[in-house]
Amino acid sequence: MYGKNGFNNKLLLVLVLFLLTGCQQPVDEVSVRSENVGFTLDEPAAVTIQQPAPAKNPINELKRSGIQPTSLKIPSIELEAQVQHLGTTENGEMAVPNNIEDVSWFSPGYQPGENGRAVIAGHVDGVDGPAIFWDLSELQLGDEVVVQDKERTLTFKVHTMESVPLDLADVSQVFGYTSSPELVLITCSGTYDFDRGTREERLIVYASLTEE
Amino acid sequence: MKKILVSFSVAMALVFSLLASGVMADSHTAKVRVVHASPDAPAVDVYVNGDLTLEEVPFKADSGYLEVPAGTHDVEVFASGTEYAAGEGVLQADLAVEAGKAYTVAAANLLESIEFVVAEDSMEVTEGQTKVRVGHLSPDAPAVDVGVIGGDALFSGAEFPGITDYAELDAGTYDLEIRLPDGTQVLPLEGTELAADTVYSVFAVNTVDSLEVIALVDYEAAGSPDGMPTTGLGTPDQSQAIWLLLGGALVLIGASTLVWKKRFQ
Repeated sequence: MYGKNGFNNKLLLVLVLFLLTGCQQPVDEVSVRSENVGFTLDEPAAVTIQQPAPAKNPINELKRSGIQPTSLKIPSIELEAQVQHLGTTENGEMAVPNNIEDVSWFSPGYQPGENGRAVIAGHVDGVDGPAIFWDLSELQLGDEVVVQDKERTLTFKVHTMESVPLDLADVSQVFGYTSSPELVLITCSGTYDFDRGTREERLIVYASLTEE
Repeated sequence: MKKILVSFSVAMALVFSLLASGVMADSHTAKVRVVHASPDAPAVDVYVNGDLTLEEVPFKADSGYLEVPAGTHDVEVFASGTEYAAGEGVLQADLAVEAGKAYTVAAANLLESIEFVVAEDSMEVTEGQTKVRVGHLSPDAPAVDVGVIGGDALFSGAEFPGITDYAELDAGTYDLEIRLPDGTQVLPLEGTELAADTVYSVFAVNTVDSLEVIALVDYEAAGSPDGMPTTGLGTPDQSQAIWLLLGGALVLIGASTLVWKKRFQ
């Protein structure tokens, strides 16, 4: 039986070597998945011109009301999540949930449905693997993003996706004013930067409100 | 009240290149909106740097803010459906826009003497306050005041073609009117609700016998963080650690199997 043991030992050696090699080159799946993402609607159709409805006092018809969203659904990637309402962290960043299954709406900013960019963020991965926005990079032009509160359901359509290096991300634009309601989804992308303790890029998805 | 009539060279540009690149992370953009305020002009198409950017814009319509690269752009207006030919438009201007600023570009006056009226728009307001300005874009109307009915004028002596500076007010409901300097009412605007943290433009348009108002929101204030969220809890390190653990476990299992087998030989 000595020969058989020798075979087993060789097998073991091969197995150990294989594992060691695997360890030295871990596949960083988040960075692979977000490597070549990005698109934008390439038509002037994004500009809709609406004849203002005749009103007694046109100034009073201008403001749109938003919602404080409690749930988020993205049917195309089978995503459903509870929405937390969070502000900023101690260092001024947009705060995110401390679990991997919820998302957070930046509540000091614009409400979904108001003019301006309402922002919802979620984790791409947790310690053990995929988190709620793992599949965000799979979104396609025109996919629907649905947010709800108790009374209203708002549907947005994806028009732009980009993965932006953190240093180039213009925060005031991403969270800024637009003359129509927009929804922005953010998660981490790119390769992991050990010095900063976060990924090098952010995946940003822009969607515009479709009529209720 | 100071009248601001910015010359052609001051401002404006439009999209396309912007929409095509879609990069909003780029901070070198300006916001521009176009207003059709020429009462007898047909619906128009707007070309920017030779590209069709806005289609069939009717009288009294506005484009909303478009994000455009900072710089100078060739803007040309054609009657809707007309084939584009450089320099043949009813209106043309080389308009320069600065990064981070917002502009309103109105096509004003009667068609035979159509012209651009350009103003820089405010993107800020004191917390809890409201801001408003008026534009006189009615080609044959006399100079007017805008003020509280039976009270003070907020804007005095606005003349065609001009857009006033902003006035910052307490948010609330105002009974406003457009009136001649002698107090004769031209257009009532009773119960005007001016919301907090909001900036408005109110443009008087059309000819004097059918004077009417276009109201636009220039800006609504809201909070913004200083930095992007940190949205990954995992690191490649952790997945490496998991591999190590798994590998270790397998090695142990393999080794114990060997030992097990040896013991039972």
